[in-house]
Amino acid sequence: MEIDSSRISLRPFNLSDVDDFMLWAGDDQVTQFLRWNSFTSREEALTFIKDVSIPHPWHRSICIDDRSIGFIYIFPGSGDERCRAEIGYGLATKYWGQGITSRAVKMALSIVFKDFPDLVRLQAHALVENKASQRVLEKAGFQQEGLLRKYSFVKGKVRDLLIYSLLSTDSYQQTSTP
Amino acid sequence: MEGSSCKSTGEGCVNEFHEISLRHLDLSDIDHFMVWASDEKVTRFCTWEPYTSKEDGINHIKDKVIPHPWFRAICLDNRPIGAISVTANSGNDKCRGELGYVLGYKYWGKGIATRAVKLAANTIFSEWPHLERLEALVDVENVGSQRVLEKAGFQREGVLRKYLILKGKTRDMVMFSLVSSDPRT
Repeated sequence: MEIDSSRISLRPFNLSDVDDFMLWAGDDQVTQFLRWNSFTSREEALTFIKDVSIPHPWHRSICIDDRSIGFIYIFPGSGDERCRAEIGYGLATKYWGQGITSRAVKMALSIVFKDFPDLVRLQAHALVENKASQRVLEKAGFQQEGLLRKYSFVKGKVRDLLIYSLLSTDSYQQTSTP
Repeated sequence: MEGSSCKSTGEGCVNEFHEISLRHLDLSDIDHFMVWASDEKVTRFCTWEPYTSKEDGINHIKDKVIPHPWFRAICLDNRPIGAISVTANSGNDKCRGELGYVLGYKYWGKGIATRAVKLAANTIFSEWPHLERLEALVDVENVGSQRVLEKAGFQREGVLRKYLILKGKTRDMVMFSLVSSDPRT
């Protein structure tokens, strides 16, 4: 049964999210296609929330009933690259397959082009085998631009990555955050 | 070029009296540097504006060229007529480097840039064993440079829309790559 989408929200992380954070950030299934390895301790999670998430330009918890079940971030470029930003996300396995990440991405779209006035391009990189994430991007209106061969290290191995983009001028669905 | 005829195809389109080579650029090359660096036809798709003063050129060589991780003059009979460079990345991006090049306008259309790119690619993959990917981003309107990379054996991977701001405007850029396992001549 699909979750009532009005229960989904985005907000900044707090240190008090640490235990919910560990439930998904400590799960190898969640982190399988991400650049980072699963978190192994509460201390590591607290350090991350304090030193990475809170000072980040735009890092948000995906919440259900205000409890953290995942993350989504937008990381803008600077200088000649300020027209573009990277989007990334992850979600607890128990909530997969219900359109929650897609909803979170659409919520983010309704905010970030206004929050970052120089931004005209959102881009995402996905591993070839990460079909679920590719579907999230396609459903949100992103276009696949190509395969970048041996583009970067992901968990210690040099990998090919698909690149997707969405322009502020493309047609896409937005969802307001409650 | 002094009465020698050039075929329109093929790399290293110079006859047996002329040789294309790469070497370090130094301050004594300033006058050669100014020939291409002051030409707006050459800098049209570069992030920088043409240099107008020799002093600015000297400072550029001192501050940007000499400390650069990999910067070479493209030479015709040991005389600099352009430049080619590879920029390194760090961390997770260490496996890739970005290629850039410029060539004096009167030397365009003779296969010289293609030859320089091939020389640079062969050299960089052996000097940087950690490098697996050499990439180049080319403005969609810069068809001449796209042809150079295709002739040099790079693969066109796609168009990255509104990827960069170049001289105040967002530009679509074509992404090209050569990976260490690609065939090279």
